[in-house]
Amino acid sequence: MPVVLYRVDERLIHGQVVVGWGHELRPDRYIVVDDDIAESSWEQELYALGAPEAEVLFTSIAQARERLRMWDTEPVRSVVLTRTVAAMYGLLDGQGGHFDVNLGGLHAGSDRIPVLDYLHLTARDREDLNVLAGQGVTISGRSLPDAPKVPLDTILSS
Amino acid sequence: MLLRSLVIQGVWNYRTMLGAGFAFALLPTLKRVFGDDPVALGQAIERHSEHFNAHPSLAPIALGAIARLETDGADSDTVRRFRTAVCGPLGGLGDTLVWATWLPLVAVCALVLYWFGAPGGGVALTFVVVYNLGHLGLRAWGLRLGLDSGRDVGARLTAADLGGVARRLQGPLALGLGVLCGVILASPEGLAAIGPVWVGFGSLAFLVGLVGGHRAWRPAAVLTVVVIAWFGLWGRFS
Amino acid sequence: MDLLRLGLLGGVLGLDSTAVGQFMVSRPLVAGWLAGWVAGVPEFGVTIGAVLEVFLLVSFPTGGARFPEGSTAAVVAVGVAAPYESPDVVAGAVAIGLVWGQFGGWTVTLQRNVNGWLVPRANVAEQGVLARAHAVAVLIDFARGMIVTAAGIWLGRFALGFVGRAWRTDGSISSGVLFVGAAVSLGIMLHDLGGFRRRRILFVAGLALGIVGARFL
Repeated sequence: MPVVLYRVDERLIHGQVVVGWGHELRPDRYIVVDDDIAESSWEQELYALGAPEAEVLFTSIAQARERLRMWDTEPVRSVVLTRTVAAMYGLLDGQGGHFDVNLGGLHAGSDRIPVLDYLHLTARDREDLNVLAGQGVTISGRSLPDAPKVPLDTILSS
Repeated sequence: MLLRSLVIQGVWNYRTMLGAGFAFALLPTLKRVFGDDPVALGQAIERHSEHFNAHPSLAPIALGAIARLETDGADSDTVRRFRTAVCGPLGGLGDTLVWATWLPLVAVCALVLYWFGAPGGGVALTFVVVYNLGHLGLRAWGLRLGLDSGRDVGARLTAADLGGVARRLQGPLALGLGVLCGVILASPEGLAAIGPVWVGFGSLAFLVGLVGGHRAWRPAAVLTVVVIAWFGLWGRFS
Repeated sequence: MDLLRLGLLGGVLGLDSTAVGQFMVSRPLVAGWLAGWVAGVPEFGVTIGAVLEVFLLVSFPTGGARFPEGSTAAVVAVGVAAPYESPDVVAGAVAIGLVWGQFGGWTVTLQRNVNGWLVPRANVAEQGVLARAHAVAVLIDFARGMIVTAAGIWLGRFALGFVGRAWRTDGSISSGVLFVGAAVSLGIMLHDLGGFRRRRILFVAGLALGIVGARFL
């Protein structure tokens, strides 16, 4: 089965992902792609607690880029999560255009501009998303499966 | 800190959720740690006023662990990453254990007692006392766990297996739910006593909830209100 | 005078729902008893509170919840029905409680937006800002609960006075309508526990116990 969701969400594994998207997509595995967390056992223990019914895998961006094609063909349903736009950019840049990225939750910060209730982007985030979109990656904002899907054009023009 | 944790949702808002309450609960610890450095104290308060969300009954785990981290002099990046990482598990575990299991279990038992003839005041008081034995006990245990474990609270939480505790309580809850349904069906004021057609309506309504889940709640409540209003207006104008 | 006392109770119980403590004295069963006690009809208050408790058994006080506010629903329902203290008005009172509880839920959403303004975006580190924000938010929430509850009882008494006494059916039919509506919540709870197939043994055993117990106790 393919990867059923690519999501940028700074809280990674939490209620919206496990309950909201999890009940809709029924994933067997959550894959957290993050260089820092891949080397941090205490963070891994905490995030794994958030999805007790599924396998949780932690990997660096470089390792994830190597395994991306394999995850797409394995007989398990995976959700791939990054906590920053930069990490998703690092994962998908140059990988081809058949990906569909969900922007799910980036909260307020001093260098972030609000674009949706649940989405605050830096200038660099906007650049990275534009580059990915230029490579054919489909990008949209949506907090939960039953929430409206907001296309990247609308997000960047707000 | 335990007392202040009781108002962690005092300024619940859609921007920072429990963030301000979290900083308020942590304030005595932050003053103790950074009291002689107003700039560091201000930065710490700002750090902890940022977005935070967790189940309120389990939030003391995060409060205790972060009090320990700040006391031990952890760097601000580690503290911020811990705050973010702990939200998911404390939210999910709390919702499952407290809202979806402990609260309905105590409520169902209280309702069964009431419809078996126990005095109403006694039932209400018993409900409050029993619920809070679990609720306040969980808060006190969580604060101690966080203070003892600091950053490594995840391993201790895994060992505590709160999800397993919830699963074990869900059996008695299913049993209690069955008893409650039986009482509503067969008590002297219950559906069977009103008439067989009401047993049919009740069973159908139960099936609608069983199949439809939470989506069925609002239409059912609206329909109930409409039927009652119709009976009332019919009586008034006929 | 009882409108003021019940309003004050609504304010206190509204705080318990989210802002202060969550000791669950705001659950309909307890709120109904307390409201009945204030209105001089404690057992009648529990009767109404117990019915609302079943209706709201699957409503949890989580952040994004949009269920009716249970404490408002219970205090308003009891406040509206207390002058009659008759089984005939229970259904009407519960319906008014559910409707007004939903309105109470919308005011909670409004309160949370107001709280967003109370928490400063800057200068949060200033001494006293957090304590002030908490004190003001709790005061506003108390006033909100009090006003919503008192207004609900006042309007509800008018509505029940208009149609309630004309209720053409006896108390048992009222119970029937209420139990059928509440049965949906009980079905949802079994759904949440994993469904009938997963819980059938314990659920059916409980059902049998309940039926036998109700017949012989």
